[in-house]
Amino acid sequence: MKLSLLFFAVGLILVHLQTTLLHLLPLGPIVPDFVLLLCVYWALYHPTVGAVLASFLLGYSVDVASSPILGLNAFAMSMVFLAVHLSSRSIWLHDPMSSAIVVLLASLVKGVTLALLSAVFLNAERFWIGAIPYIIIEALIAAALAPIVFALLRRGHSYVERFRVAA
Amino acid sequence: MLAFLRKNQIVLSSCSCLLLSLYIVNAAARGQLKNDPIGPILLWLLRPMQLGTHAVTGWFGDIQKEFGTLSGFKAENERLRTRIQQLEAERNRLLEAEATNRRLQQLLDFRAQLPPGSVTATIIANSASTWFQSCLLDKGSSDGVGKGMAAVTPLGVVGQVISTAARSAKVLLITDPNSGVDVLVQRTRARGIVSGSLEQKTIMKYVKRSEDIQVGDRLITTGLDGVFPKGLMVGTVTKVQRQNLGLFQYIELTPAVSLSQTEEVLVVKGETNQTKNEGSPANKIR
Repeated sequence: MKLSLLFFAVGLILVHLQTTLLHLLPLGPIVPDFVLLLCVYWALYHPTVGAVLASFLLGYSVDVASSPILGLNAFAMSMVFLAVHLSSRSIWLHDPMSSAIVVLLASLVKGVTLALLSAVFLNAERFWIGAIPYIIIEALIAAALAPIVFALLRRGHSYVERFRVAA
Repeated sequence: MLAFLRKNQIVLSSCSCLLLSLYIVNAAARGQLKNDPIGPILLWLLRPMQLGTHAVTGWFGDIQKEFGTLSGFKAENERLRTRIQQLEAERNRLLEAEATNRRLQQLLDFRAQLPPGSVTATIIANSASTWFQSCLLDKGSSDGVGKGMAAVTPLGVVGQVISTAARSAKVLLITDPNSGVDVLVQRTRARGIVSGSLEQKTIMKYVKRSEDIQVGDRLITTGLDGVFPKGLMVGTVTKVQRQNLGLFQYIELTPAVSLSQTEEVLVVKGETNQTKNEGSPANKIR
């Protein structure tokens, strides 16, 4: 549970970064989705009920900070967590490339989910056409960042585990 | 049952979250979500970080802006410096043009007093040798400049044309040892020959010991040599020495025209006695 709280705290910092500093990057309207990377990592390597709730809350945080209606990102992030968790039973990630592919797929799932929900609940006509390029670019950026972010998270995770054992 | 729940707790909790969020989306889209207990807490958690980041980014933004402003000032400063240099060059050019204009106007006025057929020329080169005092003009035989013509300015005599080409002419200055100008002292009308010397001095030769010459006396051309028109200023006496032996006095003078400060000259035909007589009123009456 403590680890899930830590996961949530890190996630909140990432949400904060996504709403502030990452907008300074020269990527136009696209913001690298570090929260998604964190949720995918947790779904792959530390799937707990606490992590599920943290993913939901992180998605909700993104909604609170930026979505036109609440629940969109919470739903998408929960969906990503579930999809990655279910698929992690049948795949084994052993190199950075495979983690990048999983993140790419997860990001696509999230993008499609968000687009679907927006089309249904926001009555946004032809929303798909405008959303598709962003979904793809966002997924590619997330996939490109995945190996580095996963390596950092893995290192942090092992450090926390060692600290817990020592305590 | 408990085992099933425990085994699928993640899937079930995920599905619960999905359902909950779907409910929230639906309610929010319909405007039915009146109370949101989680949102304010999350915002409260995010707020300090956002304020801190805003302050830091604002600080960096200010620094960046200041830097940009300073860079702008630097560029502006460079631009103004260049502009000042351009204007300075323009001003110098205009001052130079004005000075040239003034000099040429003086030459024109002076030209009216000289015999017809004079040519305005610019000095384009000075002597290349220490031993000779000469200069080169930009006008030559094709402009009407001929050998033996006088080079003068409103201030006085410069020299004599000793050779010409189609587009240039060489003038032997009166300060050259080989030159000779027939002069007279304006005050006493005593005559002599002005020429240069190897000591880089200009002297008046062949003045009798008995002649009354004083420092400050002005020397003018006689017009009798057929080169220089009569009455042109040649120089001012600076030293008079009567030696114990010899027929003549030693007289030094300062030329009226300083070549280093002269840029344009008038090249004129000298008046011989014959031409003077031809142009005299008596001849005209005849």
